[in-house]
Amino acid sequence: MANRPDIHLYTTQTPNGIKISITLEELGLPYKVTKIDISKNTQKEPWFLEINPNGRIPALTDTFSDGKTIRLFESGSIQQYLVDQYDKDYKISYPKGTREYYETNNWLFFLNAGVGPMQGQANHFSRYAPERIEYGVNRYVNETRRLYGVLNTHLEKSTSGYLVGDKCTIADIAHWGWVTAAFWAGVDIEEFPALKAWDDRMLARPGVEKGRHVPDPHRMKELSKDPAAIKEHAEKSRAWVQQGMAADAKK
Amino acid sequence: MSKPIIVYGHDTGPNPWKVAIVLEELNIPYDYKIVDMADMKKPPFEAINPNGRVPAITDPNTGITLWESGAIIEYLIDTYDKESVLTFSHFPEKYHVKQWLFFQVSGQGPYFGQAVWFQKFHEPVVPSAQERYTDHLKRVLGVLDKYLDGKEYLVGNKCTIADLSFVTWDMMVPWILEGDTDASQLEKHYPNWAAWHQRLMQRPAVLKIAQDKQNAV
Ligand SMILES: N[C@@H](CCC(=O)N[C@@H](CS)C(=O)NCC(=O)O)C(=O)O
Ligand SMILES: N[C@@H](CCC(=O)N[C@@H](CS)C(=O)NCC(=O)O)C(=O)O
Repeated sequence: MANRPDIHLYTTQTPNGIKISITLEELGLPYKVTKIDISKNTQKEPWFLEINPNGRIPALTDTFSDGKTIRLFESGSIQQYLVDQYDKDYKISYPKGTREYYETNNWLFFLNAGVGPMQGQANHFSRYAPERIEYGVNRYVNETRRLYGVLNTHLEKSTSGYLVGDKCTIADIAHWGWVTAAFWAGVDIEEFPALKAWDDRMLARPGVEKGRHVPDPHRMKELSKDPAAIKEHAEKSRAWVQQGMAADAKK
Repeated sequence: MSKPIIVYGHDTGPNPWKVAIVLEELNIPYDYKIVDMADMKKPPFEAINPNGRVPAITDPNTGITLWESGAIIEYLIDTYDKESVLTFSHFPEKYHVKQWLFFQVSGQGPYFGQAVWFQKFHEPVVPSAQERYTDHLKRVLGVLDKYLDGKEYLVGNKCTIADLSFVTWDMMVPWILEGDTDASQLEKHYPNWAAWHQRLMQRPAVLKIAQDKQNAV
């Protein structure tokens, strides 16, 4: 019998990275962590591309019941894998084939195909782009606000305070790292009261609290109140984003 | 299963046609309803998809309403592909199919969509934004090309939803890159990707949908 779980997470302190550490903490699973230094383009080194040919974090490896290794990338598929394999008590998921199972998947895809990419572009044009393009900033900040509006309306109607059914699921966890960093993309969370209440509700969960500090302390809450720190953080991030873009364009 | 699934779609947008390809491949009866852009963000349709986008489906056989193309495709496979024709039921391929599906919906679609906007529609032209998204697009082609070296399909030597999910956006690449990279250069730079795309384009289901799409426009 293979020794499992044997989970190894490759990650960085970003919204997509902490989805996985929070999922692991919520499930109470043991895991090893390797910090990927995106400022050094470690995610583009050959050994890492063997795990994720897309050269991005997060990525994860595990030993399957047949003793063979599985390598996975894409945060959404990693979350699906973890609950499929290890959430036998349905702590943060629903049984396959139920309505709630498909609704969870619906909101999970909404985040991965919608909120993530669009808020990422809002970050790009507001914080990292080499020149200030007003249209770019507005286009993506407005789209992010529209998506937050969809979430807010949905949460207003939720009796549990979570996106699907009566509990917190992988869909909520996937959203949290992004929503809690709304200010970074130039979105004011005060415009979305139900979403803001959900943000606090999520933060109060021990699994979220523990998982958000992987592999480094999560500083978004403190950062939002400290203009000097915002500036420093933006400069550092701008440097790696532009370096990474240049490396990608060379290929 | 007896009653057709209702697919809410659009004429030009690639995402609803992606769902139609899967339905064709599985021989599931469906009704493709074209929703006007202007009606997508208004009440009757918003009750179906609060995000005001297509595709969405309602399946009268199970009573479910669902949106987000990736979630719809996974639902169709779970519910109607009992023989795993377009997926795998075993480890690790089962999870690798999901991995590439997520890469398509989060890594290909959104960025190709932004490239379309800045290349084709936005005025005045913003060269740095055009370059950002055409670079992203080429990066994605590069990732696929490298991975497909020596392979016919993305996962386990069989055409799955992972492959099929890319095809409707990939069809648009020559048009998106018009004036930047011509079709023969694409084949030269990304030979594995180009051969794979052609392989998918020859499937009857894909051919039919490409034709339906053309007729709808
Ligand atoms: N859709 C992907 C997105 C992953 C992603 O955007 N990762 C970023 C960090 S949050 C990254 O690794 N960027 C490195 C780069 O672009 O070179 C997922 O959800 O896993
Ligand atoms: N190469 C990336 C670097 C920045 C990056 O990786 N950002 C991540 C967030 S840390 C992102 O926007 N991901 C989009 C997503 O998760 O869909 C770019 O040019 O946008």
